[in-house]
Amino acid sequence: METLGFLMDGFAVALTPYNLMFALFGAIVGTLIGCLPGLGPANGVAILIPLAFTLGLPPETAMILLTSVYAGAMYGGRISSILLNIPGDEPAMMTCLDGYPMARKGRAADALAVSAVASFTGGLIGTIGLIMLAPVLARFALTFGPAEYFALFLLAFATLGGITGKNPMKTVIAATLGIMISTVGIDISTGTQRYTFGVLELYEGIDFILAIVGLFAISELLFFVEIRVGEGHRKINVGKLTLTFKELVSTIPTQLRGGVLGFIAGVLPGAGASLGSFLSYTLEKQIVGRKGTFGEGDIRGVAAPEAGNNGASSGALVPMLTLGVPGSGTTAVLLAMLISLNITPGPLMFTQNADIVWGVIAALLIGNVLLLVLNIPLVGFFVRLLSVPPMYLLPIVTMVAFVGIYSISHSAFDLYFMVAFGVAGYFLRKLEIPLVPVILGLLLGPEMEKNLGHALILSDGDWSILWASPLAMGLWLVAGLGLALPCLVGPLLRRRMNAAIKETPVSD
Amino acid sequence: MSGLGDRILGLGLLVLAVAYGWTAQQWPEPFGGAEGVGPETFPTILSVVLVAGSLYLMVKPDPDAQWPLGKTALELLISLVVLVIYAMLLEPLGFVIATTLAVGTLSWRMGARPVRAFLTGLVSAVVVFVLFNYGLDLSLPAGLLEVS
Repeated sequence: METLGFLMDGFAVALTPYNLMFALFGAIVGTLIGCLPGLGPANGVAILIPLAFTLGLPPETAMILLTSVYAGAMYGGRISSILLNIPGDEPAMMTCLDGYPMARKGRAADALAVSAVASFTGGLIGTIGLIMLAPVLARFALTFGPAEYFALFLLAFATLGGITGKNPMKTVIAATLGIMISTVGIDISTGTQRYTFGVLELYEGIDFILAIVGLFAISELLFFVEIRVGEGHRKINVGKLTLTFKELVSTIPTQLRGGVLGFIAGVLPGAGASLGSFLSYTLEKQIVGRKGTFGEGDIRGVAAPEAGNNGASSGALVPMLTLGVPGSGTTAVLLAMLISLNITPGPLMFTQNADIVWGVIAALLIGNVLLLVLNIPLVGFFVRLLSVPPMYLLPIVTMVAFVGIYSISHSAFDLYFMVAFGVAGYFLRKLEIPLVPVILGLLLGPEMEKNLGHALILSDGDWSILWASPLAMGLWLVAGLGLALPCLVGPLLRRRMNAAIKETPVSD
Repeated sequence: MSGLGDRILGLGLLVLAVAYGWTAQQWPEPFGGAEGVGPETFPTILSVVLVAGSLYLMVKPDPDAQWPLGKTALELLISLVVLVIYAMLLEPLGFVIATTLAVGTLSWRMGARPVRAFLTGLVSAVVVFVLFNYGLDLSLPAGLLEVS
C-alpha cells in the first residue's frame, strides 16, 4: 500500500493548476503531433525539449508536459489511419486495417470514438501495470552492480532494433556511432581531452539535444523535400456519430485483452508499440474467428490495436523509469529530457526523485482522461488540421526547432551543428541505419563507460567480472538473443505483418 | 555493382573507426599513472566494434536505396543552403526578417505559391517572436528591426 501513498503524492504534484495546465497543453500538442503527417512522436517530443528547457520549467512540470505529449501522440496517430488510410505513426499501422473501411462505410465518427475509448482503456491498463510493476523492478534493480549495468546497456542496444528490425548489424553500427559521438569532450574521470581538436565548443562535449533535434527534425524536412508531397489531403467529412452504447460495451473484452497484451509487449525489450498493436489485432482476429468481419470494418478491429499501442506506450515507460534504459525512440527522447534536467535515471530515481516519478505517473492517468475528454468533441478540429499541407507545416516546424536550439545557448555555432546532424541523419536514414540507436548511444555512452570503469576498478582490472555474476550472464545471453532473433524470426514476422496489411481489400 | 551505397558507407566507417582508435592511443597517460581503465580503453573497444561492423557492411551490403538525382538533388541542396544561411543571418538580420525569408523560401520550394509562402513565413515569424519575447521572456534577436 506504500505505492498507493506515493501515487497520492504524485496526484498532489500533477493536480496543481500549473502542472495541470501543462498536461492539457501537452495532450493537445501531442494529439496534433500524432495526427500530422511528417511529425512523428519522437520528432515532436524532441523539438519540445529545448523549449521546455529554456522556459525554465521545474523538472516535474517539464516531465509532465513531455509525458502528456507522448501519451497524446499515441492517440493522434489513429486519426489519419482511420480517415486517410495513412498511419500517423508506425504503431497506428494496424488501425488502418479496419478503421479505414469503417470510414468508407460512412462510420468514420464511430471509428474515431471507439478508438478513442480503446486508447483510453489501453492507456489506463498500461499505466496501472506501470504502477504495479515499476516499484518492484526498481527495487530489484538496486541489486545491480556496475557489471550488470554494463550488460544491461548492451542488452538495450541489442534489442532496440526490435524483433522486426531489418539488419541487426546496422543497429550495432548505429549504436557505436552514437557512443562515439558521446566520447567527444573532456573525459570525466581523468580530464583528458578527447576528440576536441582544440575547438573550444567541443570541450563540454556535443549537446545531445541539438543532435537529437537535428537528426529528427532537419532530416525529416529533407525527406519531405525529396519525396515532394507538399500538397495537403482533401477535406474529409467525418459524419454523424451513430455508435450505440451496446456496440461500445461489446468491445470491452477486446479492449481489455488488447491493453494487457500491449503492456506486456511494451515492457519487453525489443518488442515495442508496433508489435503490441500487431499482436492485439491478430489475437483478436483469432478469438473472434469467423464471426467477425475483420478487414472490412469490424469495430473490434479498431479497438484492439488502439488498446494495444496505448498499453504498450505506457509499458515502454517501465524500463525507462526503473532502469534508465528506454525501449523505444520516444522514450529515449524522454530520457534525454531527464538527463538534461540533471536527474540520473535508474532505480534511485524512485527514492531520490519520487515526486517526479510519481508526478509523471499520475500525469499519465490524468492525461489519459484529458485525452478522452478532448478527443471526442475536438475531433473535428484535429481532422481539419489534417488538411494542413506539409509545405507550410514542415518549414514552420523546422523554424521552431531552430528557435529551440538557439534559445538554449544563443549561439549560431549550435545551429550549424544541428544542420550538420540533420544532413548526417538524412544519409543514415537513406542507408537504412536506424537513428534511435544513435541517440541511445549518445545518451547512454557516458554511463556505459562509467560503469565499465567502476567494474574494472572493483575487479582490479580483471575483465571477466563483466560476466561473472549469473545476472550479468543472463543479461549478456538475452542481448545475444536480441541480435540473433531478428535474423531468425524477423523475416517471418515482417512477412506476416505485411501480409496482414495487404489482405485489406480497400486499396484503391 | 549492387549494394554500392553500403560498401561506400562501410569504407567510410572503416576509415573513421581506424582514425578514432588510432587517436585514442596518442593521448598522454593521465596524471597519477595508468589504472585498469584509462581514457583510451572505451574508445578502443568502440573502434574495434566499428571496424568489425564496417567490414561486415562491405562484405554483405544491403540492396541500394533510391538516391535523388538531378532536380530533386538540387532542391535538397537548395533547402540545405537555406538552412545554413538562416543560421548565419539569424543574428545580423534579426529573427523576424530571417525567418520570413527562410520559411518562405522553404515552403515556396516545397510547392506553395510564392506570395502565400512568404506570407506564411511572415505570420509564423511574428507570432513566434511576440510569443517568445513578450509571452515567455526569451529574447530572440531583433536585428535590423531593433528600436533603440
